[in-house]
Amino acid sequence: MRKLSICTALFSLALCGILNAEESMSMNAADKAMYAEMLENNPAAMDVAEGEELFNALIGQEAYAKMLGIKVKDLPVTVAGFPRLVKAAGKVVTLSQSLQMAAADQGKAIPKLESKEMVKMSAYVKSLANDKKINIDVKANKQMQEMVALGQKIFEERRGGRGLSCNSCHSADIVGSRLRMQALPDLGSSETASAATWPAYRMTQSAMVTLDKRMQQCMKNALLAELPLGSKEMVGLEVYVAHKAKGNPMQIPGLKR
Amino acid sequence: MERRSFLKGFGTVTACAALIPTITHAADEAKKVTGPNEMSTESAIAAITGGKPVTASAKVSLSAPEIAENGAVVPVKVSVESPMSANDHVKAIHVLATKNNNTRCANVYLTPANGEASFGTRVKLGSTQDVLAIAEMSDGTFLSAKQNVKVTIGGCG
Amino acid sequence: MKTLIKIKPNSYKVGDIVKVDFMAMHPMESGMRKDKDTGKIVPAHYINEVNFLFNDKVLTKMVTWESLSVNPVLSISLKVSGAGTLKVLAKDNKGESVETSAAITPKG
Repeated sequence: MRKLSICTALFSLALCGILNAEESMSMNAADKAMYAEMLENNPAAMDVAEGEELFNALIGQEAYAKMLGIKVKDLPVTVAGFPRLVKAAGKVVTLSQSLQMAAADQGKAIPKLESKEMVKMSAYVKSLANDKKINIDVKANKQMQEMVALGQKIFEERRGGRGLSCNSCHSADIVGSRLRMQALPDLGSSETASAATWPAYRMTQSAMVTLDKRMQQCMKNALLAELPLGSKEMVGLEVYVAHKAKGNPMQIPGLKR
Repeated sequence: MERRSFLKGFGTVTACAALIPTITHAADEAKKVTGPNEMSTESAIAAITGGKPVTASAKVSLSAPEIAENGAVVPVKVSVESPMSANDHVKAIHVLATKNNNTRCANVYLTPANGEASFGTRVKLGSTQDVLAIAEMSDGTFLSAKQNVKVTIGGCG
Repeated sequence: MKTLIKIKPNSYKVGDIVKVDFMAMHPMESGMRKDKDTGKIVPAHYINEVNFLFNDKVLTKMVTWESLSVNPVLSISLKVSGAGTLKVLAKDNKGESVETSAAITPKG
């Protein structure tokens, strides 16, 4: 019986391969336009609106700017440069971690990185930077230099049962190849611009997901141990991926398959 | 020895391949779940039109992607050419996913105050199928348009 | 049930036709999906009625079904006859209902 199910699996895999080879699986321009239009009505807009209420109740723009050591009017430009060195932390932190710090400053309960509240708040705060270009500066200081190097190392490190790295599917020489019907995206291209378009509404999950969470899901699918949210390695990876998308305008929330 | 085991393996694979159609068929039957609102396209159309004929018409334009990135979220837009006046307007737009367990997606009852007969939404498609739009006109006629949407398997989960 | 109404474009005059988009956060359970953990079928739970009113007069009535995507989006047109309130009443098959309003403010 087990043999049978293995056979079935092999057979269906072969069938899928044949179908993919025979049919052109690219979406045409009209299809792409229809999906692009869906961005105008992104269900995640409701989450971002809720994130604004949560953020204002927990922290507020003034207290957040004060914690970052900047003026409120400079929030958008500063937000467009995360992950960044925050003096109060003495290290490079993600936007979500900076919100945890600000909440602690206010004497409030610190929201967990993976909590729904944090996802919504971070999306709202990131959306303050919409239309501003990603301006992450990986040479700004020693800490950023270290983190981008660590991020690149993690990105290229082959690990897990299949010896895959992020680079296995997202390196310059392989992007555009297809995994089933989907073109593998160049994380830094203006079309994908990962760091500028996450948090995004993921249609497959019918929910808004953050960039680091998405990277964890990618690791899980590729049989790699998931790096914990907020770990030095995960922050480094986010620095590296954000740097790839540098110069692209922020468009939060994004909309992904 | 090597050749022998190869042949043996080959035999098993062939046997399995031959068995597969019946196995998968049986599995499909067992797996088939019917929802609480199960309705076929024929019954849904009959319920909408009361048995009156439906004419395919260029006045109805239906846009949906030819290839859906994700079957769970397929954008569908319908617009119908009409002056939307008190005497001549579109009374309703009905959207059907012809192969879904319940083919009905939405019945949209318009008024002249809409100004334009248009409706847009996103539907779930269980498999590759036709999406059908039926426009109910104020003169009692029914016009339609359909489009095939291919639902494919996506990339990484 | 969280909801949102968007009117596009942002600026319009009397006589213009604008697009009204209504969004709701709703699971739109088909009644056919099995819960991964329990193996039991999740009961159907979907928005089944959405009514759009302009100044309390019916603009568009919808009967909706479980085939709409999770967190559904519904878009229609409105010919702006003057200033007023657009109200959307949405109801699901478990009896939960929500009323959402947006102001229609034509310029000139």
